[in-house]
Amino acid sequence: MTARQTAVAAGADLKWLTNSAALLRRPLRYTPQSAKWWGLVRLLTEKLGLSLKAAADAATTALSRADSRSPISASVDPSGSASLVVDLPRYESIFLANLSRALLQETPRRRGRSKAPPPSREAIGAALRYGTDVSLMKAALDRTPAERLQLLEANVEFVRAARRVPT
Amino acid sequence: MLGGLTKKKVRFVVVGGVAAVAHGSSRVTNDLAICYDTAAANVRALASLLASWHAYPRGIEKGLPFIMDDRTLRNAPILTLTTKEGDIDVLDQIAGVGPYAKVREHSEKISALGVSFRVLDLPSLIKAKRAAGRPRDFDHLPELEALLALSRDHR
Repeated sequence: MTARQTAVAAGADLKWLTNSAALLRRPLRYTPQSAKWWGLVRLLTEKLGLSLKAAADAATTALSRADSRSPISASVDPSGSASLVVDLPRYESIFLANLSRALLQETPRRRGRSKAPPPSREAIGAALRYGTDVSLMKAALDRTPAERLQLLEANVEFVRAARRVPT
Repeated sequence: MLGGLTKKKVRFVVVGGVAAVAHGSSRVTNDLAICYDTAAANVRALASLLASWHAYPRGIEKGLPFIMDDRTLRNAPILTLTTKEGDIDVLDQIAGVGPYAKVREHSEKISALGVSFRVLDLPSLIKAKRAAGRPRDFDHLPELEALLALSRDHR
């Protein structure tokens, strides 16, 4: 995982993650397990107003339980007189959703500043230079949107069938 | 999936690759991306439909606890899911366009595959690709911008 993917999976921004790791003197690892821990720390500090240290301790306690299928309580003060309940199955669900998004959508970027191509005044020429087949586009525009989507469905089915063929 | 969404009266707009194909893109995509209305009843209807399709986060090891309900939907602004009906990305807003109300404003109704639904219009789709800022979105821009120019000439 990249730093950015870890931040997205944790539901935090990268700057918060880096600063918090420095404050806790904890090495920042770019792994799903680390993102899960940081995500819970972020949730406890942001939503419940816990200090970073208390949130880190509570997250460690909560995530160290072997049975994560039921809500668990974690002490949040040294005397043990106050505790909080973490609904782990709920947290896991939201974390898995964020992790999936991080892995699929936050794919590693190219080196250097990422820059969109400027809008081209001569879009067709730009597409040709890019290697796009303009005749395909013209043919597509002769069809109705319904026909285009029917063709897409047929193409997707063809790809699925091709994948099913044993090699 | 489009049939299921419309049958359950979920308010949504098709965005992403399928919207691009509806506008003439030749790219083949097998996942549907939708932006949905975040009104409570709509979120419940969408979550219940996704649960009935056994939705699970895509690319994640199977068998981990995952609750697909309206609370998960409200707390995860972008869901990338695999279901028994196919892959679907569910978004509560579109970068460069805005929340559902704005997305709907910039959409057009089409009838295809036996159902009527809304798709994001081509200029907004281009804005969304620019705002997403990922190389794969930028790679799609020359084709979409040429399609916009061609479709203006085509009218």
